[in-house]
Amino acid sequence: PDAPRCLSDLIETFRAQLRDDPDVASAVAAIRALLGFLKQDRGETIQGLRNSLRDAIDTLSRVDSSVAVSSGGELFLRFISLTSLEYSDYSKCKEIMIERGEIFLTKVSLSRNKIAKLCHPFIRDGARILTHAYSRVVLRVLEAAVEAKKRFSVYVTESQPDEAGQKMAKALRKLNIPVIVILDAAVGYIMEKVDLVLVGAEGVVESGGIINKIGTNQIAVCAKAQNKPFYVVAESFKFVRLFPLNQQDVPDRFKYKADTLKTSQNLKEEHPWIDYTSPSLITLLFTDLGVLTPSAVSDELIKLYL
Amino acid sequence: GELMDLIRTEGQRMTAAQPSETTVGNMVRRVLKVIREEYGRLHGRSEESDQQESLHKLLTSGGLSEDFRTPYPSLRANVIEAINEMLIELEGTTDNIAMQALEHIHSNEVIMTIGYSRTVEAFLKEAARKRKFQVIVAECAPFCQGHEMAVRLSKEGIETTVMSDAAIFAVMSRVNKVIIGTKTILANGALIAVSGTHTLALAAKHHSTPLIVCAPMFKLSPQFPNEEDSFHKFVSPQEVLPFTEGAILAKINVHCPVFDYVPPELITLFISNIGGNAPSYIYRLMSELYHPDDYEL
Repeated sequence: PDAPRCLSDLIETFRAQLRDDPDVASAVAAIRALLGFLKQDRGETIQGLRNSLRDAIDTLSRVDSSVAVSSGGELFLRFISLTSLEYSDYSKCKEIMIERGEIFLTKVSLSRNKIAKLCHPFIRDGARILTHAYSRVVLRVLEAAVEAKKRFSVYVTESQPDEAGQKMAKALRKLNIPVIVILDAAVGYIMEKVDLVLVGAEGVVESGGIINKIGTNQIAVCAKAQNKPFYVVAESFKFVRLFPLNQQDVPDRFKYKADTLKTSQNLKEEHPWIDYTSPSLITLLFTDLGVLTPSAVSDELIKLYL
Repeated sequence: GELMDLIRTEGQRMTAAQPSETTVGNMVRRVLKVIREEYGRLHGRSEESDQQESLHKLLTSGGLSEDFRTPYPSLRANVIEAINEMLIELEGTTDNIAMQALEHIHSNEVIMTIGYSRTVEAFLKEAARKRKFQVIVAECAPFCQGHEMAVRLSKEGIETTVMSDAAIFAVMSRVNKVIIGTKTILANGALIAVSGTHTLALAAKHHSTPLIVCAPMFKLSPQFPNEEDSFHKFVSPQEVLPFTEGAILAKINVHCPVFDYVPPELITLFISNIGGNAPSYIYRLMSELYHPDDYEL
C-alpha cells in the first residue's frame, strides 16, 4: 500500500530537482531522491530495504534512461551494501547511512570544481578547442580557464537531433568566449585547425572508454587520425560496470530515450542517442579522483566493487 | 603537520631554482609520503587503509581527512630510519637494473642507443660479461656525448659503432633493440630525454623495433605534460652555430633545446629497479611512491 505512493513521490522529487536546478547532474539528483526515499522507508530489514531500493532505481530509469542515472543508482546500492556490512543493528545502520549519504552528496557537488582545477592548466593560451554537444562539466572547465585569464576559442558541434550544441554556444557566449557552431558533418574538415578536443561523458566504462552523445566516436577517430589530444572530463560517479566491446554491446535501454523504449514498435528504426568511444582513442580522463590514463579507470572500478 | 609544511616550502624553493631537475621534487614528495605513512602507523591506522582517493573511499569514509597535528616523540626517529632505508635503495638502483640485463639482451644482437647514460652503460656492461653483441651509438649532437659512451663501451670489449643522428633512420632496419636512458618519466608514461630521442623512437616504431627505457624509480615524476610545466631548457646556441659566424647570426634565430618529449605510445618497456613495466602501468607505480596531495608541491 505504501509502495506506489512512495515511488510516485520519488519520481516527483527527482523531477522537481531537475526543474529547480538545471545545473545539477542527473545522477546527483537521482541519488538525492533515493536518499529521501531511504529516509522515509519504513522497512525493518536490510533485504527489504535493498529490494525497495531496486524498485526505486528501476522506476527512476523508466523516467530518465540515461547511463548516469543508472550508474548513480548502482553506486547508491553499493553504498548501502558496504555500510550494512559494518553494522548489524538495523536502526543504527540506517542512521549511519543517512549521515554518510549527506557527506557523499556534499563531496560530489564539489567534484566539478575539482575537475576544473585539474583540467584548466592543459588549456594553453591561444588554444582552439573542439567540444561536442552540451556538457556542464566542460562548461565549468572552460569557466575556470577564463578565470585563469587564458584566451582561447571554441568550436561546438551542433549535435543533432536536439541541437544541444546551440545551448552550449549560448552559455559560452555569456562567458565572453568566442564560439563557432559547426555542423556535425564538419568535424573532419575542422580538425586540422583545432589544438585539442574536450568532451564530457555520460558514462565511463570499465575498459576506460566512454559513453557519450552520438557523434563522439566520430570526433575521437578524426582526432586520432590527425594526432590531436582527445580529453574527457567526467565525475567519478559516472563510472559504470559495463564492458562493451563494440557499439552493439551497449544495452538498448541506454541507447534510446525512456519514452521511445516504451512506445516504439521496431527499435531498429529508431536513432540511438549515444555511442561508445574506445579507450585507445582517448588521451586522458580528468576526474575528481585525479588525472587518469584510460588504463587506470578499470583499477578504480575494481577498488570499488571488490 | 609543521614538519610537512617545512619540507614542502624547502621543496618549492629547490624546484623553483632548477625546474628541469625533476628528481629533486620527486625526492621531496617521497619524503612527504614517508612522513605520512609513519604518522599513520603511530596513529594506529591499519596498514591496509588506502590513502588514495578512490570511489570506495568516497562511499565509506565517515568524515574529513585527518590533520597531522598530534605530536609523537618517536615519529622523528621512525622517519629518519625510513629515509635511511630509502637512501640505501637509491644507491643500489643502477645495480638492480643491470641485474636484469641478461633477460633482455641475447647473443648476436644489434643494439642501438643514443647519447650517454650511466644506467644504460651499466646495463650493457653487465650483459657483455656473458653475451656477445654489437652496439650502435648515435652521437647526439651538439654535445656529442655519444662519443664518450662509445669509448667506455669499447673499453669493455663491446663492438661499438658511432654514427651521426641523421643516419638513425637509415640504420634502424638492421637494429634488433633500442635501449635508452632518460631524464624524467612523466605520469602518463611519456619521457623527457635528450634531444634526438623522439626521432629515435619514431624510427623504432616505424620498423617495429622494441624501445626499452632503463631508468630508476626516482626519475618518475607525477607531472603531466602541459604548458604550465615548461620542461624545456635551452642552452647557448654556441654549439649549434658558433659565435664566429657573426655575419649570419644577425639574420637568423638559433635555438639549442636540450630535451625532447617522447609520447607513451612509442615506448615498449620500462626497466627500473623494481622490474619491467609497460607504460600504461606507470600510474600504478606512481600511486605507490607518492601521495596525491603532494603532486603539486
